[in-house]
Amino acid sequence: MALIQNTKCECGHQNPVGTVLCEACGKPLDEELAASDSVLEMRYDGMARRSQKPHPNLIDRIWNFFSSVRVAVWLILITLVAAALGTIFPQESAFVNLTDPAAYYRENYGTAGAIYHALGLSRTFESWWFITLLVMIGASLVICSLDRVLPLYRALTRQQVRKHPQFITRQQVVYVGPVPGDAEEWTARFAEILRRKRYKVRTEGTALLAEKNRFSRWGPYVIHIGLIVFLLAVLMRGVIPGWYMDEYVGLDDGEIEQIPRTNYFVKSLGFRIDFYSDEELPEHLKGQLRVKQFTTKAVLYECVAYCDDATRDPELREVASHDIRVNSPLSYKGLRLYQYDFAETPRLISVRPTLIDKRTGRSYGPFELPMRDPPLTYSVGPFTLELKDSFPEFGLDENGEPVTLSREPNAPAFVFVIKGPGLPEEGVPYLYFPREADRQRFGQDRINGAAAEMFDIRVMSMEDVEFSTYTSYLNVRVDRGMPYVWTGAAITMIGLVMGIYWNHRRIWLRIDDGVLSLGAHTNKNRFGLRAEVAAALAKAGIEVDAKALDNRRKET
Amino acid sequence: MTDWLQISSNAVIVAFFLYCFSFIAYAVAVGGSRFSNREPEVHRKRWGNIGLWLAAAGWAAHLVYFFARWAGAGHIPVSNLYEFLMALGIAMMLAFFVIRFAYRHPLLGAFALPLTIIIVAYASVFPSEVQPLVPALNSIWLRLHVTTAVLGEAFFAVGFTAALILILRVTDFSRTDKAGRRARFWAEFTLVVIVIVIGFLVAVFGFRAAGYHAEFRQETVTVDARGNVIEQESTVEYGLPPIFKPYNSETVSMDPFLGMTEPLFETPSWMNGVNAGRKWNTVVWSVIVGLLLYGLLRLIIRKPLARAIQPALDGIDPDDLDEISYRAIAIGFPLFTLGALVFAMIWAQIAWSRFWGWDPKEVWALITWLFYSAYLHLRLSRGWHGIRSAWLAVIGFLIVMFTLIGVNLLIAGLHSYAGVS
Repeated sequence: MALIQNTKCECGHQNPVGTVLCEACGKPLDEELAASDSVLEMRYDGMARRSQKPHPNLIDRIWNFFSSVRVAVWLILITLVAAALGTIFPQESAFVNLTDPAAYYRENYGTAGAIYHALGLSRTFESWWFITLLVMIGASLVICSLDRVLPLYRALTRQQVRKHPQFITRQQVVYVGPVPGDAEEWTARFAEILRRKRYKVRTEGTALLAEKNRFSRWGPYVIHIGLIVFLLAVLMRGVIPGWYMDEYVGLDDGEIEQIPRTNYFVKSLGFRIDFYSDEELPEHLKGQLRVKQFTTKAVLYECVAYCDDATRDPELREVASHDIRVNSPLSYKGLRLYQYDFAETPRLISVRPTLIDKRTGRSYGPFELPMRDPPLTYSVGPFTLELKDSFPEFGLDENGEPVTLSREPNAPAFVFVIKGPGLPEEGVPYLYFPREADRQRFGQDRINGAAAEMFDIRVMSMEDVEFSTYTSYLNVRVDRGMPYVWTGAAITMIGLVMGIYWNHRRIWLRIDDGVLSLGAHTNKNRFGLRAEVAAALAKAGIEVDAKALDNRRKET
Repeated sequence: MTDWLQISSNAVIVAFFLYCFSFIAYAVAVGGSRFSNREPEVHRKRWGNIGLWLAAAGWAAHLVYFFARWAGAGHIPVSNLYEFLMALGIAMMLAFFVIRFAYRHPLLGAFALPLTIIIVAYASVFPSEVQPLVPALNSIWLRLHVTTAVLGEAFFAVGFTAALILILRVTDFSRTDKAGRRARFWAEFTLVVIVIVIGFLVAVFGFRAAGYHAEFRQETVTVDARGNVIEQESTVEYGLPPIFKPYNSETVSMDPFLGMTEPLFETPSWMNGVNAGRKWNTVVWSVIVGLLLYGLLRLIIRKPLARAIQPALDGIDPDDLDEISYRAIAIGFPLFTLGALVFAMIWAQIAWSRFWGWDPKEVWALITWLFYSAYLHLRLSRGWHGIRSAWLAVIGFLIVMFTLIGVNLLIAGLHSYAGVS
């Protein structure tokens, strides 16, 4: 049984169902409310909202659910508790390679850890229920805003100057008293005072409406738009292919690597660790090694031809270079390279060995031998060295055949064929280990046999060795959602500043038979409004204490 | 450089004492109005102004600390818990001045100052040595992120103080029904918690002054992500007599205390944070000393603290307090959003290659933000003004303090560099 509400006001205005205060004159429509003298609830100026529609259908009910501030607050609080639960133990995503999460949580955190993992709380922030909560908050943001902003907009753009006395005297800030002198003249004078306080003033005889900072009322809606943009951007980057990439590249000094899933190559010209000097350190830390900065000198190349051609080297064009540091990534067309980590991995870059002819005792060279992509022939004095095979990490398989264990030059070995004067036509094969340790370990001379009697290839001094001490790990990111994320955040901030640091103030007054009724309303900072009204009244010849204007005080 | 640091540490001491004097002046303003010969209004104004001037002088010294340390260390001093809490103290005083002058409320200082004093004293619990910046912190965003966030939090703190005064002001001691008893209990409980915090400071500084020391060797067994069992032996040092020794540990050395030569209990095994034993022992000590202090106060004044304070608050209008608390939080909210979330995300994007990673500190900043947004929404509804809203402001401040300190001490994460030992 629906209660038929009489929505026609005594001023003649026909209001929609759900209206609390007449849209025209502001008189309370509800009889019970009209009979009391409590301070009026001025939300959305008492306008009807869509969520107050009678006989709701299913869609209306969903709308009503999400349009409720109470529901919004519950959603916020549930999300809050869920997020807090997610911080009790580390999330699984905090580990790089967690092979058996269940065992990890059980062994490190006992029964509580096992329960935590079983409940899925170790993946809280990726869980369907947490994401559902965020989506529901998004829905609430949109629907709450739409449900309120339209009625509020209508109310504020169609304001009538002359309001019902009840509407005026039941505001938060109220003054009722006699007016000195002529009513119209006083109203005009008061209007001028308010204009000087930057109010927009309209008058109708002895009725007045003054208003300022209406824009601050849109603050909350601007905040909600910003948050929606933010949430959508975050959602999109997980959904749209190519919007998001998260890869890692490990580089030795001088090494060049293709960035996975892209057409780009990155080369390290050297990784460096800087430490604080003693002058920079405070007294108690002098003499200690404290890291100041990690730097990878990096060059970014784009592949322009033969990119997928296994038979040819890709043709590269340099597009960017940057000293990548913590807090200073290399950035090129949405691709960002961050200093992520480093490891101490001493590796050869190149050596400059000398060829010694043991038969004559003469030595030739040195010649340049890079560990990566070595040339195929070398001429050293009267001899020619042809590179037949190379093993970046030399090892022997189960059949005793030489193989390479990886592509990293951890134990490099090279098989040369030496040709030249006094040697057979087909040349002499010679296996060379640049690292002395490998030479001993694998027994270079034993393998070479007779050739070892004739030749030796070795590095004469440390100056002929170039090596890299560190491997620098770069994190490569593409995140095309970021501009939208920042836009959302910026809109939210603008809305916050609009809505919180300014406040919407309105003053209504009417003079009936020499008696002034003044009411004022603000959405925030009643204190400021009270003081402003008291000051304006004082200028117009009515002395009143600011606190005495507060309507709620009169109730008690 | 050393000279600057010397100036800086002297300035802190000056600031601390000026704050204490300021608090005394405010306490006279609040408490002495009934005993003074002057009109209460005149008395409050006079002593309130003295308190304000002393607070301003203390703040000036506090700023000298900040900038001298900046000059001496070569970077903004907000990079460890000591510096951070000091910055929070400075920001809280700034927020207090802003609200004090916006509302011309003479007695807010009586509650804002003790809070600042506690924060400054608490900061001094942590090592105050200057540390060089680790590479991740070496960024302009350190300044922007921390200063803005801390300012927002400072306004939340002022909102909390106004809320606390409101709670003490409106608690009705004549009511005997259940709701009345509950209201009294919680008002008193809040004060007990504050006394326990003071008890913590008394315990730490008392034993530090006495030079107390105990040392344990603890064996810990953990399992890493690949299932390898790792056994570690570490030394744990105590500055407070060990009521609880670390779990699975041997005593290396221990100064006797009141005839106690052996630890009384062992910390339970399920407390397995970093240095859980020492932290738990400190908590136990804080509660003991706090409750002793509270008992002493009760013996002296012979009634609940809340009841003793209330008559002094007679002249304060509860509606004004409600408004002040709400406004302080509203002013703080955009600053907090900008500093603790937006600037934090920008910096995280530059330093850690992602703007959000669900790191515990990030999550707790979000929780703080969610809580205060719930607060601001509830303020729109009827029935959430006054005392209920005041309790929300108190809870909100607890969340802020947990985010700032609790997360660093209890949960490991990327922000752990900001913690200590």
